[in-house]
Amino acid sequence: MEPRRTKALALIAVLFLSAAYVPVAAEGGAGPDRDAAVVLEAVVDNWRGGPFVGTYTFAVERPGRVTEYVMQIVTDGDERSLIRVIAPPREAGQAFLMNGSELWMYNARLGRSLRLPPSGRSGAFLGSDVSYSDLAGRDFETDYTVAFSSTDTTAAEDPATTVVLELIPKPGAPTPYGRVLIGVDATSLTPRWIDYYDQRDQVVKHLALSDYLETGDRRLPRQMVVDDRTRGGYRTVIRLADVQLDAPVPDACFTIQALERGCL
Amino acid sequence: MTTGTAPVAPAPAAPLLRLAWRNLWRHRQRTLLLLVVVTYVTFLTIVYWSFVDGYGDSVVESYARYIAAPVRIAADGWYQDPDPENQLGDLAFVEALLRLPGVRAASLRIHFPALLQSAYVTEGVEVVGVDPATEPQVSRIPAKVAEGRWLEGPGEVVLGEDIARRIDARLGERVVVSAGSLAGPQARGLRVVGIARTGVAAVDQAAVVVHLEDARTLTGVPTATTVDLDVARGTEEGTAKRVQALLPAGVTARAVWDMVGPIKADVEANRAFAYILALIVYVFAAVAVASTIFVSVMERTRELGVISALGVPPGRLGALVTLEAFLACSLGWLGGLIIGYSVARLLAAYNILGPLFGAVSAGMPAAGLSEEVYGAVRAAYAGYSGMVVAAAVVFAALVPGRRAARLRPASAMRAE
Repeated sequence: MEPRRTKALALIAVLFLSAAYVPVAAEGGAGPDRDAAVVLEAVVDNWRGGPFVGTYTFAVERPGRVTEYVMQIVTDGDERSLIRVIAPPREAGQAFLMNGSELWMYNARLGRSLRLPPSGRSGAFLGSDVSYSDLAGRDFETDYTVAFSSTDTTAAEDPATTVVLELIPKPGAPTPYGRVLIGVDATSLTPRWIDYYDQRDQVVKHLALSDYLETGDRRLPRQMVVDDRTRGGYRTVIRLADVQLDAPVPDACFTIQALERGCL
Repeated sequence: MTTGTAPVAPAPAAPLLRLAWRNLWRHRQRTLLLLVVVTYVTFLTIVYWSFVDGYGDSVVESYARYIAAPVRIAADGWYQDPDPENQLGDLAFVEALLRLPGVRAASLRIHFPALLQSAYVTEGVEVVGVDPATEPQVSRIPAKVAEGRWLEGPGEVVLGEDIARRIDARLGERVVVSAGSLAGPQARGLRVVGIARTGVAAVDQAAVVVHLEDARTLTGVPTATTVDLDVARGTEEGTAKRVQALLPAGVTARAVWDMVGPIKADVEANRAFAYILALIVYVFAAVAVASTIFVSVMERTRELGVISALGVPPGRLGALVTLEAFLACSLGWLGGLIIGYSVARLLAAYNILGPLFGAVSAGMPAAGLSEEVYGAVRAAYAGYSGMVVAAAVVFAALVPGRRAARLRPASAMRAE
């Protein structure tokens, strides 16, 4: 679906939702909701930001220490991205290629590329609190059934400004979470926060997104703070800089050769 | 008075036997002491071997029923490298196997390495895909599901108690199993339907059992990596040989004893050590019995002198002492057999030894030792303990018997 058309449809859905939000909640919002799926598509479009080239800075906070990583990202804004670590020197050269459900890692010391299993997408990226699927891909659309949330969580949010999407894993989906809630700005359909719940209804991971880069109809979050709620003092702050939106990103960037040798 | 030594006709054996028997009960305390010593030695020998054999049997039995199978069929390449790509080419031979006498059941399995992920932890694990219907005939794991239930269909997983605790997965929750498939990486979310508590460290710490269909999806293996057979205990070796005749080239049937690997060497080393230990115990036991008899001879010097003076020749006197030892030892042996076999039967019927091996099982998970360790009961133990008693009688003949035979009646009668 064209991004502009998706946005228009999603906006109509949200306007409708804003008017009928309370009845939706009262009815329980059970079952997959087609409008919610449209909103989710727009949310993921905004989160991924379309094709761009940029630099990520990861500050991985652990009790008593902070480790910083700098990496270059090239993405088509959809399901493909290539991330290469630039600093610290010890990790420099490592690269990660995500192409749909495929996930590859290049180990510069060994000079070898390894294919990782799909569940690796929800594993820790470089030992941080971020998963591969937080950085790229559209797992929310493929692995979950989405509906507008009807739980008490939404009570804290103003329905006029925030829409909360509730994502429930599809049967057999490779995700260990019980559900995911996404707080979405009702006007721009940008994600504001994401809560990952375990299967005991406890939040195990919280993402807070902010500092949006606005270009045309897109709002790309440039800051993401990820809190591990199961371990105190475990947090990762990610900043996106030097962003070139709509940069020409050739298909050759998403190959094993590019993983091993770079593409830009 | 006759000073010469006139030839004495050999006394008949029956009176000597009667005399020896009567002597036993004239010194009840001494005889009872000897009886207790021999009974104890016999009892100890039987229980010792019941324990040693029971341990070896339990290791093999645990390995057969919890880790591998009594008889396993796999491609030769799989034994070298147990990777799903070394799968069985086809399963056409399975039908013929089930018609083979001695083969009670066959279960298909797919073994594969995978990542197991909960919302909190990811662990590398070894997963087994099984047919839930046939697996209970080969493995004891299905019967040891302590919480929840055994597998019923695809989309389910049974975890060992410890691994479930490690990844913090509870009944009804979903975990993700992902594997490097022949067709590329695959992953599936599976619901935890059962938690197994087997007492076998290797199972409780690492078991991840999924439905065969899920295993096929995750690995891309359309057949199985192994066909595991249920056969009666003790027939594994013979059945494996007969099964081999039905298998295609490049596929081998192995009995459990051929699969235990380093554990085999461990069990054999334990047995060798047990023999050495038993030999030392036997020598000490025989010396203990012989010394009891020796003390008895020392105490009876005057009495033996009187018997000798009454015309019993020295050789017969030695024979009398040896016969007394033989009778007392035989009685003690019979008593020891009764008590020893009774205890061995108890050890074989009830899991008395198991708790003693709890720490061993946890410390050596690869040994596959279950918390159920039963004693063995074998007829050979009567022979083993009989050898100890025989050795004691030989000692008795050599030392106290000889001393009795060398007694001079006149000086012996003056002894205090």
